[in-house]
Amino acid sequence: MVIGGRCDSGGGGLRVISGATIMASSQVSTRFGTFYSGRKEGELDCSSLHELTKPHVESYDYFVERGLEEAVRRLQPVELKHPVSGAALRLWVEKPNVSPPMKDLGSSALDQRLLPSECRLAGLTYRGIFTADICMQWNDGAVIRHNISYGKMPVMVKSSVCHLRGLDQQQMVAAKEEATEMGGYFICNGNERIIRLLIMPKRNYVVGVKRSSFRNRGPSYSDKGVMIRCVRPDQSAVTMRLYYMNYGSASLGFSVRRQEFLVPVGIVLKALIETNEFEIYEQLTTIQGELKDTKGAVGSQFVSQRAKIILEEVRQLALFTRFDCLQFLGNRFRPVMGLEDKQQQPATVGEQVLADHILCHLDNPRDKFNLLVFMLQKLFALVDGMAAPDNADALQNHEILLPGHLLTIVVKDRIQDWLLRVQGQLLKEMKEKPAGNDLLLKHVQKVFEKVPASDVSKKVEYLLNTGNLVSQSGLDFNQVGGFTLVAEKLNFLRYLSHFRSVHRGAFFATLRTTTVRKLLPESWGFMCPVHTPDGSPCGLLNHLTAACQISSDLDARGKKKDFFQIRKAVTKILVNFGVVPVLPKLSNLSPPEYLAVLLDGCVIGHVLTTIIPSVVEHLRRLKVVDGSEVPADMEIAYIPCTSAGSYPGLYLATTPSRLTRNVKQLSGDGSLELIGPLEQAYMEIKCPGGSESAGPKPTHDEINATAFLSVVASLTPWSDHNQSPRNMYQCQMGKQTMGFPAQALQCRADNKMYRIQTPQMPIAQTGAWNKYHMNQFPTGTNAIVAVLAYTGFDMEDAMILNKSSVERGLHYGQIYKSETIDLTESRQRGDGITNVFARSGALARFKEQPDKTANIVDTDGLPYVGQTLTEGDPYCSVLNKMTGAIKISKLKGSEAAIVDYVAAVSTGSKDPLQKVTIRTRHPRYPQIGDKFSSRHGQKGVCSQLWPDVDMPFSTVTGMRPDIIINPHAFPSRMTIGMLLESMAAKAGALDGRFVNATPFKKCSPEGGDGKDFAKTGGNDGSAEVFGKQMNAHGFNYHGTEVMYSGVLGTEFVCEIYLGVVYYQRLRHMVSDKYQVRSMGPVNPVTRQPVKGRKIGGGIRFGEMERDSLLAHGAAYLLHDRLHSCSDYHTANVCGFCGSLLSIVPLPTTRGTLGSLGLGLGKQAGGKKVCRVCSTSKGIETVAMPFVFRYLAAELAAMNIKLTMTLSQS
Amino acid sequence: MDGGMGAPPPEPVTYLCGDCGADNTLKPGDVIQCRECGYRILYKKRTRRIVQFEAR
Repeated sequence: MVIGGRCDSGGGGLRVISGATIMASSQVSTRFGTFYSGRKEGELDCSSLHELTKPHVESYDYFVERGLEEAVRRLQPVELKHPVSGAALRLWVEKPNVSPPMKDLGSSALDQRLLPSECRLAGLTYRGIFTADICMQWNDGAVIRHNISYGKMPVMVKSSVCHLRGLDQQQMVAAKEEATEMGGYFICNGNERIIRLLIMPKRNYVVGVKRSSFRNRGPSYSDKGVMIRCVRPDQSAVTMRLYYMNYGSASLGFSVRRQEFLVPVGIVLKALIETNEFEIYEQLTTIQGELKDTKGAVGSQFVSQRAKIILEEVRQLALFTRFDCLQFLGNRFRPVMGLEDKQQQPATVGEQVLADHILCHLDNPRDKFNLLVFMLQKLFALVDGMAAPDNADALQNHEILLPGHLLTIVVKDRIQDWLLRVQGQLLKEMKEKPAGNDLLLKHVQKVFEKVPASDVSKKVEYLLNTGNLVSQSGLDFNQVGGFTLVAEKLNFLRYLSHFRSVHRGAFFATLRTTTVRKLLPESWGFMCPVHTPDGSPCGLLNHLTAACQISSDLDARGKKKDFFQIRKAVTKILVNFGVVPVLPKLSNLSPPEYLAVLLDGCVIGHVLTTIIPSVVEHLRRLKVVDGSEVPADMEIAYIPCTSAGSYPGLYLATTPSRLTRNVKQLSGDGSLELIGPLEQAYMEIKCPGGSESAGPKPTHDEINATAFLSVVASLTPWSDHNQSPRNMYQCQMGKQTMGFPAQALQCRADNKMYRIQTPQMPIAQTGAWNKYHMNQFPTGTNAIVAVLAYTGFDMEDAMILNKSSVERGLHYGQIYKSETIDLTESRQRGDGITNVFARSGALARFKEQPDKTANIVDTDGLPYVGQTLTEGDPYCSVLNKMTGAIKISKLKGSEAAIVDYVAAVSTGSKDPLQKVTIRTRHPRYPQIGDKFSSRHGQKGVCSQLWPDVDMPFSTVTGMRPDIIINPHAFPSRMTIGMLLESMAAKAGALDGRFVNATPFKKCSPEGGDGKDFAKTGGNDGSAEVFGKQMNAHGFNYHGTEVMYSGVLGTEFVCEIYLGVVYYQRLRHMVSDKYQVRSMGPVNPVTRQPVKGRKIGGGIRFGEMERDSLLAHGAAYLLHDRLHSCSDYHTANVCGFCGSLLSIVPLPTTRGTLGSLGLGLGKQAGGKKVCRVCSTSKGIETVAMPFVFRYLAAELAAMNIKLTMTLSQS
Repeated sequence: MDGGMGAPPPEPVTYLCGDCGADNTLKPGDVIQCRECGYRILYKKRTRRIVQFEAR
């Protein structure tokens, strides 16, 4: 039974000409069920899909357009002075540029652009030349620029340097891409790879933590501290920590080259600005509260004592002035800063330490001072128990590491490394022969050649290929690997999820506690609670919700945010509202009367607690005004004063890479406002269908009841009726489904690709199905499903498939496997071309060998396209021109394959054929043992292909089901959604309409009828609607039908629940898994069967299996399994001495070879003799496992004798 | 027998250009490049031999 449309790009024939890929019907809006409103030759509106990969693409645009610029500006320039001539040279980098990928030089193609499709097919890397100007200046003279190449930088598909940017869908198809192509990935050696989104601590935000590991820092360190991850405008980060010392002081810690340095905080406070001890004391003690039980009294009477201790500590080091402190820092950190052999004053070095490592997100020392004071106050409040520590695992304190930001950091690190190596090389040459190298232009340029600059891009490519990051400083990440993953195009769901997945970090996978994996309420609306894998990555690998966006450094109009302007504007607005700015400094502005206002981790003022709500309201109003100076994605988190809650304050953030989502404002004209996870926790957001809150009046409204689900989770129909683990299972299985992975299937050479021949669009579909154009990439078939226990073959989640349905094409699929044979890889340097693709006997010099390949391999050494190959058939033959040897690739595996496609790829402008890609097609009929699943986490294995005539049939229609499942699948799993789908899709099929299966429909404004979800208990009355629909067509109201047994022809006592369910075929197929052997390879040492399916090994019959046979008393079977079928061996044992190893063949008197023991005397049945007893009288043949004999030999090697006592029982 | 008369020269195989779709007939040792547009991926044409599927 086929309902719905076929989505098929044609058979095995090759289509390379543009426009051949289908352009399915389009629609302007994504209104539900409008798919069949007529096929129009327009464009699909793919903005919803592009929105999903936007964080990737946008951040790469940042990398090439602004990030690189920012990074090279902040590089440390190289400064050198020649010892003899005294010439000073300064080197720095400017104007970095990544150009669009081009074909290699020497290519005579008409179109010199290198397109992504060519990279995929030819196994190339999609990369463009990365250049920069290196500037040289001698003695403050004129700047000389020299443009050098940093190699070829991998380019993200659909980024601003990609050729596909801005193409319309027709052109996209012409470029052999999907019409819906979203980009966001790299192509490395033909594979599509993604940089993973990673969770990072929120930048420029002070977090209070309590960790017992802090005690290990040294004596008198407490377990409390505050941390801040400071991020510079070029995205490089430095984490700074402030530890509380048990004696009342605090110690400031920061890492340089993976080594943590600890400094008493007083020194830094004094060194930052020209101040006096009284001012510091006053600043620190503003939070001192009198009454302990006031809400938000965040300081105790100990604060003043601590302030004194901090100042005392500095005085004891005899550091009195700012200059003293700077000198102190400079002397200590000179080697760390790499300024050993330079002539800087210690104070200058000290200033550099402060600039580079202390609160490096701020430029102004006064700002740093204020923030440090704020951090100390938060630390003291934390220590006194007046403020609670923040949860470092909560999304509130997190942000995302974006691909472009990672690349910016890595490239900056690499260029800096290159500059340092240039410096090192110049220094070395100056030292060795000062006269020879006098820092002239030609010498410096020679050094550029010696220190390869292309290393920069190579390292990035290595990062993309392996996911491993090589860096000396660690770059403030706590992992070195796992940064990238392959974007498998198994089906569209899996492909999409790769872009939306967010990993917590490789470090957390090693933790034995489960706290980091917990689902926290803070994640609501940002992370999908359903879509996380079960098993080891559970809770660590999450997925962004469909509605979640990530803030960037661009404002709503696509212009670069000017953070200085924003700060000015926000400060002005706030001051107008009564915020006291930080300058001029007034004391006694402290909680609970006054709260600090921080913008991007910079204290900009203090505000009276009572007016904060109105300030926040005003800011929110300005936020949604188009063109206002307050950015639309600014986070306005007001943490109010509580008793021992989070540290209060007004925290504003405009930084990139924060998570944001839209909610509707209830005030004003109901504009959409972008909110973040930190502010969300302190906002009143009304959820439609939720109960009225008893607390404060809501200020915001959720837009969509399903907005908290990820793309994959929102495709499950009626997921609100299912038990939640079932929805999680569906998220997993949806990604393992054989579907229709790509429309440009013919233009791809993925290693392995699954495809189902007759996919359909589901009759019951959610709103998200159309929104994300899942009809372009369907993943299953609408099947007639009967729920009954029939023949017993549907026990235990097995299912019976109708054989005729399968023969009509139900779930028929195939696997495409591609193999690339590259002869250039085996080529030695300096050698000519020795290996060519050719049939044996192609060369006249060599005698024609008996040629078995002639029939199967073409004259060019490649297979015929369209030919069927069976096991062991050769499909490719390579001839060595020097030796005439032929190397033949043979088809592995027992199943037949069809040669689908053979591509010859050029490897150089003069080379003959050296590289081919061969794609084979493996047909996969559904068979016993294959796995299927509905969309409700109800998976099962096909147990029988039952003949159509023997299937039960409906009395009225005579219809036979496609699939029979067992009713026991339902009670314990409670997948009511599946029961609903069965009815709804049946009604829909009868009506000829698609059914809206969006979950929480009654709670969403568009589909709601005003009924409260909480009051109706989720019963939205859909069953009633479908019942009536079915009734109207003459079917049973409850979806049941009277049926007859196909075997006996008798009517069933029960009515059978029969309906239409969308079934998916999962990629786990029995033909990839079956493993049997009776004979086969054995381990040469133990003579036991080897393991491993690939090499024809066996399955281990282990201890537990042994135990169960033992318990059954099945001794013969046990003996058979563990001995006869394993390492059965008959050994000769000497009955007199009991030795197993002393038996040797009797030396024969005749002949000389045998007597030498060269193996000739070893014939079976030959006479044996015991060396110890010098007789063959006691020798007996004993059956034993071969490992026993091996054990005896091993023991003998350790000088342990093993004797056997033989007896006749 | 001896001297270049062993095997007949292998017959040329026709490929399709991956970009413009033009037919390219290549002999062994020829450079892999379309003669029309210079594109460097060529597809082998579907065989003219009879391919019979099992019909059961």
